[in-house]
Formats: sequence, C-alpha cells, structure tokens
Amino acid sequence: MEVDNVFDPIDITISGLRAQGKQMEIISSNVANARTTDAGRGEPYRRLEAVFKSDGDIEGVKIDKILTDMSDFLKVFDPGNPHADEDGYVAMPNVNLPVEMMNLNIATRMYQANVAVLRRYQQMVETTLELLR
Amino acid sequence: MSKTNSILDLIETGIKAENLRQKAIANNISNLETSGYRRIDVEFEKLLAKCLNSAGEVDLSKIEPQVYRPKQTPVKSNGNDVDFEAEVGEMIKNTLRHKAYIRLLSKKYRQIELAMDVGGR
Repeated sequence: MEVDNVFDPIDITISGLRAQGKQMEIISSNVANARTTDAGRGEPYRRLEAVFKSDGDIEGVKIDKILTDMSDFLKVFDPGNPHADEDGYVAMPNVNLPVEMMNLNIATRMYQANVAVLRRYQQMVETTLELLR
Repeated sequence: MSKTNSILDLIETGIKAENLRQKAIANNISNLETSGYRRIDVEFEKLLAKCLNSAGEVDLSKIEPQVYRPKQTPVKSNGNDVDFEAEVGEMIKNTLRHKAYIRLLSKKYRQIELAMDVGGR
C-alpha cells in the first residue's frame, strides 16, 4: 500500500470496481455456458461462484477464490442428443438463469455504488483544495 | 538558492511529474487490449522524499521523474497487465495532486504580487 493515506478511499473503491468486474466475468461465463453439456471433464458445465474477501478492518475487497457449485445437474429428456443416457435423459448445467440475472443486477448496482463513493470522495478532496484558492 | 525559488522549483517539479504520469496513464489505457503490453508507471514521490530527507542544500530541478515498468502486477492471458479500473483510479489521484500543485502555484504568485504592490505604493 502507498504512503499517502489521503488517497486510500480511492484505492478501496477501485478494489470494489475490480471485484465487481471479475464477478461480471463469472456471471457471463455462467450464462454463456447455461446449455453446455460437455465441459471437458465428462460432465456438463458447473456454475461458478465468486467468494469475496477482505484482509483487514479498513481494507479493499478482493476475490479470494472461485468455487464451483456442486449442486445436482438438471435432467432434460432429449433422446436425440449425443450426450443422452440409455433412458434418453441429458444432464444440463446447474446454471439457473433467473439467479444469474439477479446476480447480474447486484453486480451492476455494486459497481455503481462504488463509482458513487469514488465520485463523492473526489468532490470532498476538491472541496479541501478550494481552501487553497 | 533562496527560499522563494525553492518553493516554485518544488511546484514546478511536481507539475512536471504529474504531467508525465498523466501521459503514462493515457499510454496504458490506449494499450488496454494490446497483447504483450506491460503497463508503465512514474516514480517521483519516493525520489523527492529521498532528496528532501538528505542533509544540506538540494537542487529540486535536478529531480527527474522516472518511468518504469512494475513487474509484480498480474498478467492476463494475452500477456497484458493493464487494469482499466486501476488506471482510472490513478488518473483521479493524479488529477487531484495536479490540482493541489496548481493551487499552490497560484497562491505563491499572489503572494509575490502582493509584495510587489506594497513596494510600488
């Protein structure tokens, strides 16, 4: 961390922006792979989930790890599919689109909130600089 | 060197450094998608602090801000390590520092003008 504490709030909000940017990446991966029946490990795509972490009391946020959702796959009846089992069922990814849309909304709002804090802090510092006029 | 000059020198060196840093940030942002590009940064505050802490008279105009490439930033899959949000944050900090220097400079000029007014009357 840098020495100038005046700019710490800026670093912290930027860490929030970066974390939400990464979260967006994960959501887009989940949505893009909502119908991927083969994720290369002999099973459908598993949805990803980001875990946020903070190192101290007044500290920025960061993405600690990206976990895979181990909940059950959705079985869809589709006998023509090459991935179908002997009963004609295909395992579909455990991605739930409404949940992803909700997470997308949260990520967008979080990003906006961090930008709002950043803008407000910038105004505060500028108010201080007005004293030098 | 007299004290008056040294304050103006300090501000001038600072403004020069902020100018260079702004250029570095603009360069980084324009190479956001360039594969293999490593971001550049400007080192100035550390050099200034070292110079001000050293004993004896210092010539502030001799402090040159240094452009360098930080090696520890995480690299993306295309060999690029520029982070857009981080660059925007640096730009905001840089703008605020620049503003502070400009305000100090105008304040100093106002002081000099005041002294000249008193002398002229």
